[in-house]
Amino acid sequence: MNNFSIALKSSNDLVVIMPKGYVNDLGAERLESTCEQFFNKGIRKVVINFSDMQYLNSIGASVFTGMVQKTLEYKGLLCFTNIKKIHLDVFNMLGITKHVKVFKEELEAINFLKGKK
Amino acid sequence: MKKKQQDLKRLLFNIASLVDLGQEVTSAKGIDEKMKTALYVVTGMFSVPKAGLFVYNADRHKLELVTCKGIKDADGTSIDVQTKYIKAFQKNTPYNISEARNNSFYERNAEAFRRLQAKTLIPLFAKDEFVGAICLGKRLSRTSYLHSEKDTLKVVASQMAITLHNSSLFKKIKNQVNENKKLYQNMRHIYHDTIQAFAAAIDAKDVYTRNHSYRVARYAVAVARELRWKAKEVEGIYIAGLLHDIGKLIIDKGLLNKGETLSAAEIQEIKRHPQISYDILSKIKFPWKDVVDFVKHHHERIDGTGYPDELKDPDLSDGVKILAVADAFDAMTTKRTYRKKLSLFDALREVNKCLGTQFDNRISKVFFKVLQKEIKGEIKEAQILPHLDKDFDPTIITTLLESITAELSY
Ligand SMILES: [Fe+2]
Repeated sequence: MNNFSIALKSSNDLVVIMPKGYVNDLGAERLESTCEQFFNKGIRKVVINFSDMQYLNSIGASVFTGMVQKTLEYKGLLCFTNIKKIHLDVFNMLGITKHVKVFKEELEAINFLKGKK
Repeated sequence: MKKKQQDLKRLLFNIASLVDLGQEVTSAKGIDEKMKTALYVVTGMFSVPKAGLFVYNADRHKLELVTCKGIKDADGTSIDVQTKYIKAFQKNTPYNISEARNNSFYERNAEAFRRLQAKTLIPLFAKDEFVGAICLGKRLSRTSYLHSEKDTLKVVASQMAITLHNSSLFKKIKNQVNENKKLYQNMRHIYHDTIQAFAAAIDAKDVYTRNHSYRVARYAVAVARELRWKAKEVEGIYIAGLLHDIGKLIIDKGLLNKGETLSAAEIQEIKRHPQISYDILSKIKFPWKDVVDFVKHHHERIDGTGYPDELKDPDLSDGVKILAVADAFDAMTTKRTYRKKLSLFDALREVNKCLGTQFDNRISKVFFKVLQKEIKGEIKEAQILPHLDKDFDPTIITTLLESITAELSY
């Protein structure tokens, strides 16, 4: 549906992806393909800033599951930031956070990734 | 406490997902998009990055890929399935492919399973007809499926099976009116399955309340039908019956099963459950109205001494009054940790004793009447009788019911 969009900020070897609105239907697939495009370009450090994500259901969870899988396959680094508790609970429950680093703020994640090769 | 909170979150997430799935598969979307969405729902529920959905082609004895997630170059993948394998499949039940490593089904299709990175296979059956399969890869959580998760997968699988089955019918019928009706029927079916699974989880918490929710739902239906409620409203109270104690899921199990006398604080804790039920259910969009109201107030009493809101008679809806009687009657006629079960005779007298204070006269009278009719065999589909112990004397009970209802008529 049209209540979902993506904002992007990228610099050098790092990209910040911001899902906005409702991540609850196939429209959210774009998150996965966007992520893969950056991996293909050689950008392996990805931050997902969730501050504008309003709603997440299992379809959305599936999309993030896919992103984590891609990160593992491309040996990338994935960080989640600014997550509401309710969404973090879902990610924890699904074991998604086993494979990503979670930070409170976007800047913390960026600083962390800058120190990584 | 932490574990329990997690269990509840898990359950809520699953239910919300099942409701989403129900909406998706009954939507007006094309079958390909529906199946793709359905696959996303499943993979999201269990954090599986790689999965495929297959439809069965009976002419070719092959499962053919309809849609997949996370697998490159999977187009055209098919799996050989001979009739003997189909006979061995357990309907809509997930099984571990690697455990079947020695069998010829696995050997024959080893290449396809490897390409799909499949770990789990769920054969899809609509009633008795084999219609397809879901292949799931490794989970991100790296855990195996819990018992409850397997149950949820079964519900999901049966929904997807029905959808697949209907899609082939769709081509044959080409009658939009019929098709819409069928879709609506299926949606109801799916909601029922989902909610039934939920109810089973609630009743499993307390050893003494096994099937309590189900019986309460049935008893409530009996009364609602006798009151000539419309079919959709009857369905609503059935759902409310199934879910009325959902709040108990987050009350300590030890407390619910505690045999000895409870302290005041413990009683307060247990009394929180209707409010918790309300909090949980008000987040779910039900196609029936009033479900949430019925659930929240099933422990209210006519005299205003119930909970959580201490509502008095004129503020209580018929649905609430029905649930209150149904709930209490089932509690009386089954064994509880804190007391033996009452005989049917004693239970009916107990309900009678609480008329006008705990229970509503008019609604209780309908309850007595419908039970009477069921005992006399005047109701085609009995809702109460099948759940009662058969050791009562019908003449004695009928006489008792007659005298109580006669008294209530004055
Ligand atoms: Fe209750």
